[in-house]
Amino acid sequence: MSHDNSSPSFLQHHFHDVKQQYETAKLGMWAFILTEVLTFGGLFVAYVVYRSWYPEMFINANLLLDVNKGLLNTVVLITSSLTMALAIWAIQKKNKNLSLVMLILTFILAFMFLGIKYLEYSHKFEVGQLPGEYYSYMGPEIAHINNPHIFFSIYFMMTGLHGLHVAIGMGLIGWLIYATAKGNLHSEYYTPMEMIGIFWHLVDLIWIYLFPLFYLIG
Amino acid sequence: MAHQHHITPLSIYLTIAATLLFLSGVTVWVSYVDLGAMNIVIAMLIATTKATLVVLFFMHLLWDDKKLLTIFVMSLMFLGIFITITLLDTEFRGGVNPEVKDSINKRAAFYDSLPLTDTHGNPVDEHGSSHHEEDEDHH
Amino acid sequence: MIENQKNYLTYPKGIMSWLLTLDHKRIGLMYLFGGLAFFFLGGLLALGMRLELAAPGNDFMSNDTYNNVYTLHGAIMVFLFIIPAIPGALGNILLPLMLGAKDVAFPRLNLASFYLYTLGALFTIYTIIAGGVDTGWTFYTPYSTTSTSNVIPMTMGIFIIGFSSILTGLNFIATIHKMRIPGLTWYKLPLFVWALYGTSLVQITATPVIAITMVLLILERLLGIGIFDPALGGDPVLYQHFFWFYSHPAVYIMILPAFGIVSEIIPVHSRKKIWGYKFIAFSTLSIAFIGFLVWGHHMFTSGQSVFSQIVFSFITYFVGIPTGVKIFSWILTMYRGQVSFTPPMLYALSFLFLFTIGGLTGIFLGAVALDIHLHDTYFVVAHFHYVMQGGTIVAFLGGLHHWWPKSMGTMYNQTVANICCLGVFLGFNGTFFPQFLLGLRGMPRRYATYDPQYADLHNYSSFWSAILGLSIFIAIMNLLWSLRKNNKLDPGTNPWGAMTLEWTHTTSPPHPHNFEEEPVLEHGPYDYDKVIVEPTFKK
Repeated sequence: MSHDNSSPSFLQHHFHDVKQQYETAKLGMWAFILTEVLTFGGLFVAYVVYRSWYPEMFINANLLLDVNKGLLNTVVLITSSLTMALAIWAIQKKNKNLSLVMLILTFILAFMFLGIKYLEYSHKFEVGQLPGEYYSYMGPEIAHINNPHIFFSIYFMMTGLHGLHVAIGMGLIGWLIYATAKGNLHSEYYTPMEMIGIFWHLVDLIWIYLFPLFYLIG
Repeated sequence: MAHQHHITPLSIYLTIAATLLFLSGVTVWVSYVDLGAMNIVIAMLIATTKATLVVLFFMHLLWDDKKLLTIFVMSLMFLGIFITITLLDTEFRGGVNPEVKDSINKRAAFYDSLPLTDTHGNPVDEHGSSHHEEDEDHH
Repeated sequence: MIENQKNYLTYPKGIMSWLLTLDHKRIGLMYLFGGLAFFFLGGLLALGMRLELAAPGNDFMSNDTYNNVYTLHGAIMVFLFIIPAIPGALGNILLPLMLGAKDVAFPRLNLASFYLYTLGALFTIYTIIAGGVDTGWTFYTPYSTTSTSNVIPMTMGIFIIGFSSILTGLNFIATIHKMRIPGLTWYKLPLFVWALYGTSLVQITATPVIAITMVLLILERLLGIGIFDPALGGDPVLYQHFFWFYSHPAVYIMILPAFGIVSEIIPVHSRKKIWGYKFIAFSTLSIAFIGFLVWGHHMFTSGQSVFSQIVFSFITYFVGIPTGVKIFSWILTMYRGQVSFTPPMLYALSFLFLFTIGGLTGIFLGAVALDIHLHDTYFVVAHFHYVMQGGTIVAFLGGLHHWWPKSMGTMYNQTVANICCLGVFLGFNGTFFPQFLLGLRGMPRRYATYDPQYADLHNYSSFWSAILGLSIFIAIMNLLWSLRKNNKLDPGTNPWGAMTLEWTHTTSPPHPHNFEEEPVLEHGPYDYDKVIVEPTFKK
């Protein structure tokens, strides 16, 4: 029943071999990605419906967002996606130190993303561009427009859910740094790094859509 | 090791990242050109190109078992169903009763009690001067 | 057979070995008893409602209490019993056994899924203690955004249980794809596995949407985000789209595993190869898919566009095709078989009868013109009870009786079980058939009181509901009573002469690691025309 002594320590008891374990993990991960796409999907539906109902409001409200910060975050997140991919590449090439450097860079970039997001959010809180009934901004460029609070509701929910994913991703990458440094992950077994990599690219993927949908309407 | 993983060459990662950054620039630039309804179409085309690159290369689906690509495409298909069929309702209301076409409240009631503000969110009176002079130099 | 063999029920010992178990069979049992507890609670609420409705006035509870009772009955039965019960309990216990695997693909995720279910259940219990919730299990806006009852804890509970459901589905998909023994190809899988596969696909695609919907509803209450609230420029009908995008496919999360159980019971107890294996397998997948295209038939009177009403009504009829394919396949399986009237088979036969009525009345309701008359009447109540209780719960009871000797290693009193099955069948029809008539005559659902002209039918319905409740209660007590001391079966028992792996290659109850040795596939799951597997039943 159990594996013989030659099977590696990372092989769990209910799998035949490393290949089966790896392929199962990957299939599970992609099934999880499907659930993520549909979770965000609900909010995308809300976005599409309200944008088609209030096209003018969306154009005017989008002008209140800071394109530069949005673009900067795009660059940060794409770069972090690259460093994540390179971390996996490095560990495949048996270069543990390079892999660690890349993971740490990814972590820092994720932190930068949240930092920039924080600056954006805190400005919105200050001027009252808030979701729903908490909305109070009546600046000259928007005062005549109906219901901009809906734009900010959707904006905060989508970027908030995305930001939550970035934060969770940071936690996971932090764990990867620890596991790689300890030597638990190596060129023979790096499945967790690959799975978290897929998650991290998904976070990038969603931002790729959020950026033009919120910042580049006008 | 019983199985060999495909190792993507470094040059591919770097090329893809460079293309993604370039396309991000393009999408910002193009958003300042007024193309009417085409703006959103172009923005979505660029975003989808970027997303495809991320999925195929960074997420490795180009080389992986096609089952995984199927799962991903399935997620988009179900999202497509969700959006399309919901729009069949929201875009075509009022066929029998035209009065249900528009939302009940064109402008939510709480706006009536909101004071006008300046661009810093501070309330202004009718002449446009701010109530909170101390906040003037905030930004 | 070796005496005192190790089995998963007795080895390892200790409460912690259960609470922290990674064994799919133990997790399945915990799901089973959790689910049955909520089934009991939901059943009591149902009987409370029937008691109130036995006479026209407010004799037993106030209108507000009644609102709470039907909401909790619906939410508990749907989210805490029916959706988790078959995949979580029977699916968990049987899936790896049927595949010849040692466990599901992700055992720790499996345990996490159970604890998420428990956490969601705690939120539900809190809701009850805090005074209930009165919106109906659908939480339609705008009422749910203004109701002063405990909407947030209940929706929070559903949000959490949603994740439990997602994790189970994800786990099963990976298990079915990757954990089969060599030689067990897709077309050699037992049909219960196909059913679980279809269910899991729906679970992972639809459930994320209910999660985000519940979040939006909670935020609507907390922040007034204005997505669903018409006073803030939002659209309550959009909430219904979000809700039913999950909750219609959720109907198939509930019924597909029941189809799977029936597909197992009928060939075994007819001793005949299943008729139309591939038809049944692919009709499962097509039901799962078509189920995503028809949610708007719950919203014909909501004010959605006429165009989408036509589209939804049209597509709804297509659900009837694969469903009919299944029903005919089961009937043809029995044709010229040696049908034995064991308790599982009686439940399967009841299922065929009751589910067919439920399905056909669904076609009535799919027609827009008729639905506008029947919407929110007892006709709808009767229809979905014929599907959910007459279909799913009856099949679940059948499955429970079928696999009880396998998973527990004991045999219940079959005569009592047969009598209870008859009681369930008669009680069910007596309770719900009059409700079709009530609905046709215009009795609206969700009212504690009614016009005296409906009194006779309501009274009749209430009387039979007592027999229904009692029958189910005794049936389950009969199962539990078999667990008494010195009632163990021989570990080699195969009382029905079934030939799927869980019966032919492991003991009853199974070994902690499922199989002593990895099973070698010798024949297909229903090869009664080629191989003879004699029923063995001894103590």
